[in-house]
Amino acid sequence: MLGAFRSALATPDLRKKILFTLGIIIVYRLGATMPAPGVSFKNVRACAEQLEGQNIYSLINLFSGGALLNLSVFALGIMPYITASIIIQLLTVVIPRFEQLKKEGQAGQGKLTQYTRYLTIGLAILQSTGLVALAVRGQLFGECDQDVIPGKDSIFTLIVLVITMTAGTSVIMWLGELITEKGIGNGMSLLIFTGIAARIPAEGKNILNKSSITFALVIVAALIIIASVIYVEQAQRRIPVQYAKRMIGRRMYGGTSTYLPLKVNQAGVIPVIFASSLLYLPDLVVRLTQGSSSEPNWFSTFVQTYLVKQSSWVHISVYFLLIVFFTYFYVGITFNPDERADEMKKFGGFIPGIRPGRPTAEYLKFVLGRITLPGSLYLGIVAILPNLFLDLTGDGQNQNFPFGGTAVLIMVGVGLDTVKQIESQLMQRNYEGFLR
Amino acid sequence: MARFKQRMRRFAQKPASVDLAPFQALLKDVEKHADTFKAFSDEELTAHAAKLRDESTDTELVALTREAAERAIGQRPFDVQVLGALGMLGGLVVEMATGEGKTLAGAMAAAGFAIKGKRVHVVSVNDYLAQRDAEWMGPLYRLLGVSVGWINGSSKAEERREAYQCEVTYAPVSEIGFDILRDRIVTREEDLIVPEQEVALIDEADSVLVDEARVPLVLAGSTSAEAADPVIADLVKRLRQNLHYEVDDEERNVFLTGAGSEAVERALGEIDLYSQEHVTSTLSKVNVALHAQVLLHRDVDYIVRDGKVHLINDTRGRVAKLQRWPDGLQAAVEAKENVQTTESGEILDSMTVQALLGRYPTRCGMTGTAVAVAETLREFYELEVLVIPPNKENIREDEHFRLYATLEQKEDAIVEEIKTVHETGRPILVGTLDVAESERISSKLRDAGLECVVLNAKNDAEEAAIIADAGSHNRITVSTQMAGRGTDIRLGGHEGEDHDRIAELGGLYVIGTGRHSSSRLDDQLRGRAGRQGDPGGSVFFSSMQDELITQYAPDAEEPSEVDEDGRVRDKGLLHTFEHAQRVAEGVNLEIHRNTWRYNKLIEHQRDLLLKHRDVVLRTDAAYEKLGEKEGASEEVASEAARKITLFFLDDLWTHHLTFLSDLREGIHLRALARQNPLDEFHREAIPAFNKIVPESWELAKEKYEAAKITDDGYDLADAGVKRPSSTWTYLVHDNPFGSGLEETMKGLVKMVRGQRR
Repeated sequence: MLGAFRSALATPDLRKKILFTLGIIIVYRLGATMPAPGVSFKNVRACAEQLEGQNIYSLINLFSGGALLNLSVFALGIMPYITASIIIQLLTVVIPRFEQLKKEGQAGQGKLTQYTRYLTIGLAILQSTGLVALAVRGQLFGECDQDVIPGKDSIFTLIVLVITMTAGTSVIMWLGELITEKGIGNGMSLLIFTGIAARIPAEGKNILNKSSITFALVIVAALIIIASVIYVEQAQRRIPVQYAKRMIGRRMYGGTSTYLPLKVNQAGVIPVIFASSLLYLPDLVVRLTQGSSSEPNWFSTFVQTYLVKQSSWVHISVYFLLIVFFTYFYVGITFNPDERADEMKKFGGFIPGIRPGRPTAEYLKFVLGRITLPGSLYLGIVAILPNLFLDLTGDGQNQNFPFGGTAVLIMVGVGLDTVKQIESQLMQRNYEGFLR
Repeated sequence: MARFKQRMRRFAQKPASVDLAPFQALLKDVEKHADTFKAFSDEELTAHAAKLRDESTDTELVALTREAAERAIGQRPFDVQVLGALGMLGGLVVEMATGEGKTLAGAMAAAGFAIKGKRVHVVSVNDYLAQRDAEWMGPLYRLLGVSVGWINGSSKAEERREAYQCEVTYAPVSEIGFDILRDRIVTREEDLIVPEQEVALIDEADSVLVDEARVPLVLAGSTSAEAADPVIADLVKRLRQNLHYEVDDEERNVFLTGAGSEAVERALGEIDLYSQEHVTSTLSKVNVALHAQVLLHRDVDYIVRDGKVHLINDTRGRVAKLQRWPDGLQAAVEAKENVQTTESGEILDSMTVQALLGRYPTRCGMTGTAVAVAETLREFYELEVLVIPPNKENIREDEHFRLYATLEQKEDAIVEEIKTVHETGRPILVGTLDVAESERISSKLRDAGLECVVLNAKNDAEEAAIIADAGSHNRITVSTQMAGRGTDIRLGGHEGEDHDRIAELGGLYVIGTGRHSSSRLDDQLRGRAGRQGDPGGSVFFSSMQDELITQYAPDAEEPSEVDEDGRVRDKGLLHTFEHAQRVAEGVNLEIHRNTWRYNKLIEHQRDLLLKHRDVVLRTDAAYEKLGEKEGASEEVASEAARKITLFFLDDLWTHHLTFLSDLREGIHLRALARQNPLDEFHREAIPAFNKIVPESWELAKEKYEAAKITDDGYDLADAGVKRPSSTWTYLVHDNPFGSGLEETMKGLVKMVRGQRR
């Protein structure tokens, strides 16, 4: 692995790509820590510290790499872009014009990408306005009474803030596209990855301050977790497939390179994100329906004691079950055995020993059912691991804790993809040693 | 005004073509030289050309060739031809309208390159044009002291070698490719034919570089040929659609249903089609036979003539003499039509037209329609387009197109239109989409009492005569795309004797019976009229049942208002056709890009292997590696060692190609595990390739040591080193099976759409 990196750096144009990507990431981190104009950095820090332990925005903050609660230039992160691409994707189904564009190949796709960018700007304006409004009213940081935007009485300051954050989002969008285009790996995923990884030192220091033995234990545990996540992420069941559509003279049958791969974790990180968002819902409902003064009723008490509190066994079990459920749900909608079997039949492919059509679909269903069970259990366990270590991290930091749960799943996923891409680019270039 | 528009486009950063202005500025320079050269005698001209070989500018070269052309061909090239030649010398693809003298402009550029010391291959689209152009332009080259040669399909090896030694060689693209492929299996250095490639000047550049780029040229060697089974061919004829088999919407795939495979199993004697023993033979045969039976239509995809199956090139409408279908499909079609099975064999090596042209360090070209594919040329060939204005303003009147609800109404309207126009005596060219349609239209015309001449792949021998008279009074010519490109239709017969009378009537009237899948083909067809400032007119007829719509815009709405005769005037629907063309072009581009992504690796591997092969071929590397042989002199042993090594290298490459095509077939499945199929392809293909050379040495050593080699001779065939007894070349008809990857994408779209309903 290190050898691969060394030879990657020894290949001139690959080295250029890697250095370019690193350069972009540095720019991104700079922007994420640089406070926007008009924001009092000192007061923001103070408030953020007070906020520690509350989880209102933790998922969004995770994606923005902590920039949100810094009220920095890149406060919005790439969420507006992700939202915009999802919206445009959905619109292609609804708006005939978009559907037409999608079918017109690259030229049409280019136009759709352009629309996505416009929409991102629109969303960024909306979100930054919302964010600034929250900060001005002092609601962003809950109880904190420090003034995060000293000049908030001047409309000019606020407009500059909105414009800066919107511009920041467009810059992030551009940086991401630059990486995808000229660097290595998928730009958007790498930026998310960077945001998460950037928190590791701070979290590590927190733990180290508490006790150095715990710190050593956490490091060991983290390494074990990461290693096992990598192991399981790579695992797949390969169902051999044969094609009998052409007549070829000397054909070797029973080759091992044509197969249908089913990953153990076919669903990726999405079930975890779904499950945690769903768990926040009751809390959100309570907050919205209830003024701060009124008596807590039975519902809000229940939510507060069992669902919000991450060390509660109710919370942990519900979370785990939701993840298992969403894994099945997600695999169910993205992998359709009937359709897969039909597609194979259409191209003259079949699984040896099994007839095409219905029997093939039945077989795929059977294998899929078997493989999804360990997959979902694995996802659930990785996700709840940090809840079991809450003593170390403090309540509410489940999502942000960089050694477990969502963060590790995302980081390992992006990391594996990127390394694989470097590796394959390396292979395409390195034919040396061949003639010798 | 036009220039202002150009500026605005450039300002908006969407230039489809490079700026013409700098080239126009060069015209003055060319003019400056003109008088000097005019004063030269012929001998002085030749001598000056020789002098320019050391040092010259493009303008001086072009001025010289212009003068030479006037003396040798009897035509003084117009400014636009000079511009074209300058553009090509600058490595651009020039777009020149029909009848503007592309051949001469091309020859000027080729001569210019040759004087600059480069070897030029003028790549033409067929045998006939290669010979005609080389002979026509011969005097021009001779006056400039440039040697010129040509090659066609029947040239002998010696003639080929000679032609390639010339500074300018005219040859069809396929022949150059075949020569290169044949070179890659020779075992003696002196058998090599093609020298290093330097400049390619491509005629009909869009057709060669875009439409035919994906066509693989194949070198095959005879092996035990597996003939298609007539029993199976008979059997699939009895199967019924939707009961025994189904066809997908795009008509690209056909597959057996459960009932279908049971029927086949019963008919073949209660076998299990999907058991190991039958998968490799019977099942593939049934699938291929079914494809031949259901998806390939006689008189659309191929014709049967003299007991042989001939493929039809779908963008040109001509018989593609050298083309075959791959992977047993050819034999299956032959079995379907009950004709003699032609020899088939093992693919020794193949390369695409794109890879072939990619080997030239300098490329340029000319065509009538380049701007529409400017993006593609830039992406795949790093070529820019230069648009040359016509010498005389084009005054052709183009009517957009007329839309009808049904196919029948459309054809009735076409006959009606022809009748009306014919009464005036104006010549009419009817461009149809395939052979079957051309015959249908002509019989309808005859029923209506209109005499017409038909030109399609079936009577291509009469082509020249039919085209020569297509512009004469009272003539109705019904043709396929054959007449749509490259043909020059003169008004008033082949001598132009009746020119003025026809011009008075409005010139040639072109009627397209349907929009093509690409707007370029539409433009080429329209371009048959209005040549060199002549008057002319064109119109297209379309119906909502045209294949373009049913295949590429199947969701098009029903026309809300239809006139009594079926005419549709709904503006929105008119746009649907442009949309369908864009989809078709987008799909083609996507397939092109995808094929190329995979081919790039194969080309790279071939290059590396050939470099290694070249070393073995030209040196004693094999002898040094395999060691001395007792009882044989160094010379004999070295030759034997070389032959054995080359045999295994070629054999392993053939295996490797088979492996890669197998791998490619199922690699799209990897996307299911969110892996990038292209990366996965590399991951499997590269280690396999890296094994070839070591393995070849190992096998060669084994054979070399076992073989009896003495100074009296040796027989390698005994030892199993047996090269194919004969080889032949052909082109593969491009990708008839479709690829799973594209289909998966479409499947996703469909899934989404299905949920909507």
